Amino acid sequence: MKAAGFGFGAAFGFVITAAGLNNYDVIHRMLLLQELEVYLIMASAVAVAAPLLWVLEHWHFKTALGGPLIIERGPVRRDNVLGAAVFGAGWALAGACPGPAIGMAVAGSVPALAVMGGLMTGVLARDRVAGQIQPPEHAKMPLEAAQATAAGGASA
Amino acid sequence: MPQILPDRTPWYIAGPLIGLIVVGFYAVTNRRLGVTTAYSSVAYLLVDRTRSEGWRVWYFAGLAAGALFATLLQGGPRFGVGYGALGALVPVAVLIPILFGAGILIGYGARWSGGCTSGHGISGTSSLSVASLAATATFMATAIAITLLLRVVTGGAL
Repeated sequence: MKAAGFGFGAAFGFVITAAGLNNYDVIHRMLLLQELEVYLIMASAVAVAAPLLWVLEHWHFKTALGGPLIIERGPVRRDNVLGAAVFGAGWALAGACPGPAIGMAVAGSVPALAVMGGLMTGVLARDRVAGQIQPPEHAKMPLEAAQATAAGGASA
Repeated sequence: MPQILPDRTPWYIAGPLIGLIVVGFYAVTNRRLGVTTAYSSVAYLLVDRTRSEGWRVWYFAGLAAGALFATLLQGGPRFGVGYGALGALVPVAVLIPILFGAGILIGYGARWSGGCTSGHGISGTSSLSVASLAATATFMATAIAITLLLRVVTGGAL
């Protein structure tokens, strides 16, 4: 798993940097709708990946390290949308998202280290806030007790 | 070092390659290719090692190594405090806090949303997850709106 993580990380980091995505001006012009290149990168990535993933899933493909392929597709939650709005604001300000920020720093941009430091701080802050949101009572009970409570509630 | 790789490899090469990496990562590990969780595992190395997943730290190291290889082929690295049009507009002493604050928004938001431009925007969208499609539409719309607003506020400097 470590080798796979390193290998795929290296491939992804290489392409992000080769494509010039680790550049404030490239992302800024994209978000100003002045150039389409980055949208075309995202769209062509999805156009290649989507049909291949569909085929693998319908073949019940067995992954090398993780058992049969299971692609999670949860319903839209409030968190997905609210978090994405906050993320979009930061992305617009920094002209960088998590992967390209690494590429920026590696290419010699000292200010990109501030983005990376902020990013880690933000992730830890969110985990702390999320940890303080108490789950509902039945979520803390053993499964059978929770089912009994839920059934009792339904019949009452 | 001479420049072997262009500053910007064309989209029709880079995009499909990213698509293949996403599929390859699923085929090997049964996981989405997302970058924010790599940051969290590196951050937890310093704070709480039990919450740091070793392979994600290796994944983070891989991202940096791959980026370094591409940078070397592009004739870099070039060290400096420049930051494109934003760096040209504000002094470094203002730039750094802005970028740190932006980083907090990026990390907090991605963690809250359950993914970033790679996890939701490419991997999740490729698997046609409605949660990822909604998140992607939201961060795209927000980022474009704020960027256009910045252009107005800065009188066209950004």
